[in-house]
Amino acid sequence: MDELGRIHQLIVPLFGHNMVFNLEAIAMAWIVMAILLFFGFYAAKKKSRLPGPLQALGELFVSQLYMLSEDALDEKLGKKYAPLICALFMFLMLSNLLGILPHLEEPTKDLNIPLSLGLMGFVIAHYAGIKEKGFKKYLSAYIEPMFFMMPLNVIGELAKVVSISFRLFGNIMGGSIIILVVSHLTYSIIMPPFLNAFFGLFVGTIQAFVFTMLTVVYISVQVK
Amino acid sequence: MAFDVETWVNVAAFVGGGTAMGFGAIGAAIGEGYTAADANLAISRNPAISGEIFKSMLVGQAIAESASIFALVIAMILLFTEFSNSSYITVCVLLASGLSMGLGAIGSGIGSGYPAAAACKGMARQPEMSGRLTTNMLIGSAVCQTPSIFALVTSFILLFTNFSGRPISPTWAAILGAGLSSGLAAIGSGLGGGLVAGASCEGISRQPLTVTPVTNVMLLGQAVTQTTAIYGLLVSFILMFKVFPETGSMAPPMALLGAGLCMGLGAIGPGVGEGCTAQNAVRWIARNEKATGDLTRIMLVGQAVAESTGIYALVISLILIFVV
Amino acid sequence: MAIEGMDIIKAAAFLGAGLSMGLGAIGPGVGEGMVAAKACEAIGKNPDEAGLLTRTMLVGQAVTESTGIYALVIALLLLFVV
Repeated sequence: MDELGRIHQLIVPLFGHNMVFNLEAIAMAWIVMAILLFFGFYAAKKKSRLPGPLQALGELFVSQLYMLSEDALDEKLGKKYAPLICALFMFLMLSNLLGILPHLEEPTKDLNIPLSLGLMGFVIAHYAGIKEKGFKKYLSAYIEPMFFMMPLNVIGELAKVVSISFRLFGNIMGGSIIILVVSHLTYSIIMPPFLNAFFGLFVGTIQAFVFTMLTVVYISVQVK
Repeated sequence: MAFDVETWVNVAAFVGGGTAMGFGAIGAAIGEGYTAADANLAISRNPAISGEIFKSMLVGQAIAESASIFALVIAMILLFTEFSNSSYITVCVLLASGLSMGLGAIGSGIGSGYPAAAACKGMARQPEMSGRLTTNMLIGSAVCQTPSIFALVTSFILLFTNFSGRPISPTWAAILGAGLSSGLAAIGSGLGGGLVAGASCEGISRQPLTVTPVTNVMLLGQAVTQTTAIYGLLVSFILMFKVFPETGSMAPPMALLGAGLCMGLGAIGPGVGEGCTAQNAVRWIARNEKATGDLTRIMLVGQAVAESTGIYALVISLILIFVV
Repeated sequence: MAIEGMDIIKAAAFLGAGLSMGLGAIGPGVGEGMVAAKACEAIGKNPDEAGLLTRTMLVGQAVTESTGIYALVIALLLLFVV
């Protein structure tokens, strides 16, 4: 049970401050990225009319997520941001599923990864908003509909980032702790696979989808 | 019963963790149940698009769950962290942090169930609008959870601030009051915000052409409904960050605890009431788009009057903190 | 009656576990009841779709149960581990 709180960290002193690297999260994230790169390379290698399994899977992901992105944003912007949405969803879904494999754990279990993805979505949304509407109109959106609403709107924007990051982090971390505790308590081999299936496949996929959809919606709110 | 401080800190950590998850599980489950219930009805009404409705139900439930996940995170932190600077203040900090997040998750959980339910019902009625309905459900639910984020922020600040330089009495009451104020105030605002978002999804499904005014008035109504949660957060911040002089008597601590309770409980009613107002305003804008200006005006006036008791509670809280 | 320090910590852990599961059982109970009620109504309105509606009801109830499971886990942690 002491594994619960232990995080392997690499602390590098730099200019008087300590730079802390959480080794497990970084390693797992690199594994996910390697799998995705291999998948992308081999799926797109032979583009044939009768797709093989890898290509069919790739086409499924791309077509569904492009449709999602174009539904929420308009045609032109939809095509522009769709690769980001596709990459985000595939990265998150594979990360959340990684816990099922033995000796591997989900990189999204560390708060840094969901928080950084949330901040990335936030920055992209506001950048898209400024580029589309121009700086003056973007600022005036904070004042509407009445002047004293400005602190509320600013707080609301920050709350959006916190909420999507913590939602993903809490679901995945909570699920992994539950699996650990139940395995410790029941000493059986029958329960943990079912729990793993529920938390990893079901909850992991839904949370990845919710995170991606919310990012798309935030971009579309800023752009309109 | 003279135990050392370490014992009491552990006691408070466990009771606080249990309270946080206990209260936090209530709201989300009720909201998710309401969503699944209306999704069932929607599928029976229009079985052809049951796939879309099922997907919306799952997404809506996942969002409604998020406030309980925050409570789970706080409970885990309370159970497993070693608190180094132990004093009697730490005891109160742990209890207050658990109370704050636990209570704060109730309203947002129940509230987030309404837009998801209305989106599922709306898809059965108007399958072509399913994209727009999903978007409004997501926006409405996300805004409706802002009060529980305020409670989470209060919990984190309580856990990670160093209170060691303060006198024990009356700071213990200030900290408990801060936790109660944020936690209780989030109940009403979360519920009210959810009502508005639900009405907007219902309105869009009835009259797809009114998307823009409905969404705008929904955001406006939700923003005004959250003001009571902001008062609760404000009182919490004042109670946490103001350094109170040491006292020996019971009256000043009770004043601070009373201030927290007053603002917390006093924010529940106006939150729900303003939510009802905005809900009906949005519902009738969808049916009668020409009256948007009049309806918006009446909604704002009505919400301002409904806010009045919330403002009385804020004033009494501030008097209890600063004057008494 | 000399109560030791460890006793009262265990007492508090048990109290916390009780609070957690006790309060945590309220929500899923109400929520799952609402799901089942509306599922009955839905099947009554459209009996041909009974299979699909039952499946949806069960999935909805499973997701609603999840917060109750979190409260159960916290209670078990407080009882046996901490």
